[in-house]
Amino acid sequence: MASNATEENASENENKSEPTPSSSQNENNEPNNPNFECNICLDTAKEAVVSMCGHLFCWPCLSRWLETRPNRSACPVCKAGISRDKVIPLYGRGSGDQTDPRDKTPPRPQGQRSEPENNGMFPGLDMGGGWHVSFGIGAFPFMFFANNVAGFGQAPAPGSPQAAQEQFLSKVFLWVALIFIFWLFIA
Amino acid sequence: MAANETRTRRLHRELQQLKTNALPGINVNEDISTSSLETWVINVDGASGTLYEEEQFQLQFKFPAKYPFDSPQVMFVGSNIPIHPHIYSNGHICLSILTDDWSPALSVQSVCLSVVSMLSSCKEKKLPPDNEFYVKTCSKNPKKTRWWYHDDTV
Repeated sequence: MASNATEENASENENKSEPTPSSSQNENNEPNNPNFECNICLDTAKEAVVSMCGHLFCWPCLSRWLETRPNRSACPVCKAGISRDKVIPLYGRGSGDQTDPRDKTPPRPQGQRSEPENNGMFPGLDMGGGWHVSFGIGAFPFMFFANNVAGFGQAPAPGSPQAAQEQFLSKVFLWVALIFIFWLFIA
Repeated sequence: MAANETRTRRLHRELQQLKTNALPGINVNEDISTSSLETWVINVDGASGTLYEEEQFQLQFKFPAKYPFDSPQVMFVGSNIPIHPHIYSNGHICLSILTDDWSPALSVQSVCLSVVSMLSSCKEKKLPPDNEFYVKTCSKNPKKTRWWYHDDTV
């Protein structure tokens, strides 16, 4: 079974390998895909960088052009502003393991990594100190309000141990709140 | 060495493109453009419906060592030099992309197209006002002239 399978694979590979040489010949006959040609040397872009305006260049070609006119750096194609920091390197698969020609030319600008948008649970955390202040002011009136509502709802009989407990608790909360507000003013 | 290699490779590509993606009225003059890549002569036809209809001109391109980072030297040669307010009777052309506004993304073909376009927008065949003085005093190389680009209409 296993040998059969491998034979089948092999024959398939042979079938597949037949069209590949002819297609590569076509590639050799025709010039490379013009979509990926450098706008300066007209060859397939090597060490490719792309400008903000979307035009593709070899980094050696573009850097040489930028050196040629250091005071007027414009995109060769559309004359949009262009600079070393405003081009993005393109890393194709397998382009990294070739010899590094950066010894000859100025190094290609680095890729930039920007942080993703923060849609987290605590959007206020970004603001640092501001968050505490807004919490303190927002939360305490609510707490008093809640106490009052509770009082109106199920008023425990005055003098009962429940009432005493609630009074004690509300006093504790009041003091905690006052201390917290005082601490806020100190800090 | 590397610079010359870029130039040679690019010129080969351009020649290939001029032949395969030829534009009507813009053809490489194979007789004059010898196998050397130093100098090319392109036959340019006046566009139909313009003042230069049915006329044929010859544009000479000379490529400096730094081409395409440096602009080619472009001028009209031959017996028929178009009469145009921006073309001197010695063949020199006052066109900004040939010096200040040159970009390496331009090519022989696009320069030819610009020249044809410049001819086509002409309303009246006349020589530049300073033609006589310029032709007497100018350098052979049009790139040595300090051109003053002032007229965008033609």
